[in-house]
Amino acid sequence: MNLLTRIADIFGFLGHFPAYAIAYIVETLIVIIFGTVAVAGMVYLFRKYMARVQIRIGPNRVGKFGLLQVMADGLKLFQKESIMPSGRDDLAYKVAPVMVFIGLMMGFVFIPYGPLAWFGSLTVTHSDVSLVILFALIAIMPIGEILSGIASNNKYAMLGALRGVAKDISFEVPMMLSILSVVVMASANVTNPLDLNGIIQAQSIPFIILEPLGFIIFFISMIARASQSPFDMGESDSELVTGNTTEYSGLRFGMFYLGLFGTIFLGSMIVSIMYLGGYNGPEVGYLGFVWLLIKTMILVVITLTVWLSMPRVRIDKFVNFGWKILLPLSFIQLIAAGFLTLGGIA
Amino acid sequence: MIEVKEIKTPRRIPFFGMVMGMVTVFKHAFQKPVTVQYPEKKDDQGDRFRYRIYLSTDDCVGCTLCEQVCPNLSITMMTHDKDNPRNKRKIYPSVNFGTCTVCRNCEEICPTDAIYLKDVFETSRTRNSFFYNPVELEKDEGDVIK
Repeated sequence: MNLLTRIADIFGFLGHFPAYAIAYIVETLIVIIFGTVAVAGMVYLFRKYMARVQIRIGPNRVGKFGLLQVMADGLKLFQKESIMPSGRDDLAYKVAPVMVFIGLMMGFVFIPYGPLAWFGSLTVTHSDVSLVILFALIAIMPIGEILSGIASNNKYAMLGALRGVAKDISFEVPMMLSILSVVVMASANVTNPLDLNGIIQAQSIPFIILEPLGFIIFFISMIARASQSPFDMGESDSELVTGNTTEYSGLRFGMFYLGLFGTIFLGSMIVSIMYLGGYNGPEVGYLGFVWLLIKTMILVVITLTVWLSMPRVRIDKFVNFGWKILLPLSFIQLIAAGFLTLGGIA
Repeated sequence: MIEVKEIKTPRRIPFFGMVMGMVTVFKHAFQKPVTVQYPEKKDDQGDRFRYRIYLSTDDCVGCTLCEQVCPNLSITMMTHDKDNPRNKRKIYPSVNFGTCTVCRNCEEICPTDAIYLKDVFETSRTRNSFFYNPVELEKDEGDVIK
């Protein structure tokens, strides 16, 4: 009995098919609300953590402990007039932030959340190729960033978008190869290694122990995917005003902002599913979701620490790093994964 | 020939410095914040901290030494009708706190200790109301109405 069937039971009077259709919609809405709340929590956590690292206090005026600060900021952005540049490519300009936000939210739908107490499994949907779907969905977000850069009719936005593209293509290939080595390892034990659930079931030993190199490559790639501090070439706020988001204001800017923090949360979730065993842990049938959240939050704190302690890498250095270090390492990791699988260790 | 000593540097391990930097950053998160939430909590000042100038009109003899010693003309003498047998000319200092640099020369020079400074510092006022006449200088900061 999972959450989906519980919701479908409530709408059971409509018949089998409509009840499940409505249940899917309701559960997707729940996931979108969860995603939005998680992203807002991420913004709060980031501001508070950054303040503590800098020996400050951080937001503490709006609400208890400043908990409503994010909501106040959101309302402020909502009220703002949306100022648009003249000479913009109108459709692309307006579609770009929505693309970033929707790509993020669709990513949240395919995550296997695992069971939680009375609710049962919280996973919305599963497919035999959910791994491929997930990475196809989060690959939509960079397109939004590139579109925003091109459509803004602004040189800084354009340069930011070009840098973003250079960054994206240099870490995507090692990232995909490290995913491939995970799939190779998982295929030894389960029949559906392209399913995220299958990957989690295959991790009686978490893959971080079996392939630490792959974990490092994938984690670096996920940090680069979120385009945060060491890899924020797309934004480059000290050189290009704010990169591809320069010409955006109000709610459209807010969508890019949520996209940044949401990608950190989603990326940490994906890393914990692929390498830390996802919802595996003691009392998995009862506390699975909690284990996933704990692992995610640890990775989020590590990610934020990376953000706060490292300066931006120069773009050519990062391209070198991607093609000359990460790519050979991920090939080595793939071969090692093959040997481990054939040797029967995995 | 001068022999240059080679300084032995430890061998650089890749990524080790980055990780140590991250550990340092993480440790900072557990330190006590240095921010003082000002209106609610007030930080301790030093024992010798002084800001606000007070005037005891009973002691002032109107010698104008404070006006002469003030380095940027913050103190000007002003007529104030008060029955003080020691101050026959009936002139007393008035202070513009907008320009006062708290050099404390006036306190030092005053022969009768009529001018003295206290550690009161919350004298925020709206614009152009930094000028304190002798009556206001004698009052506590809370009683001064501007």
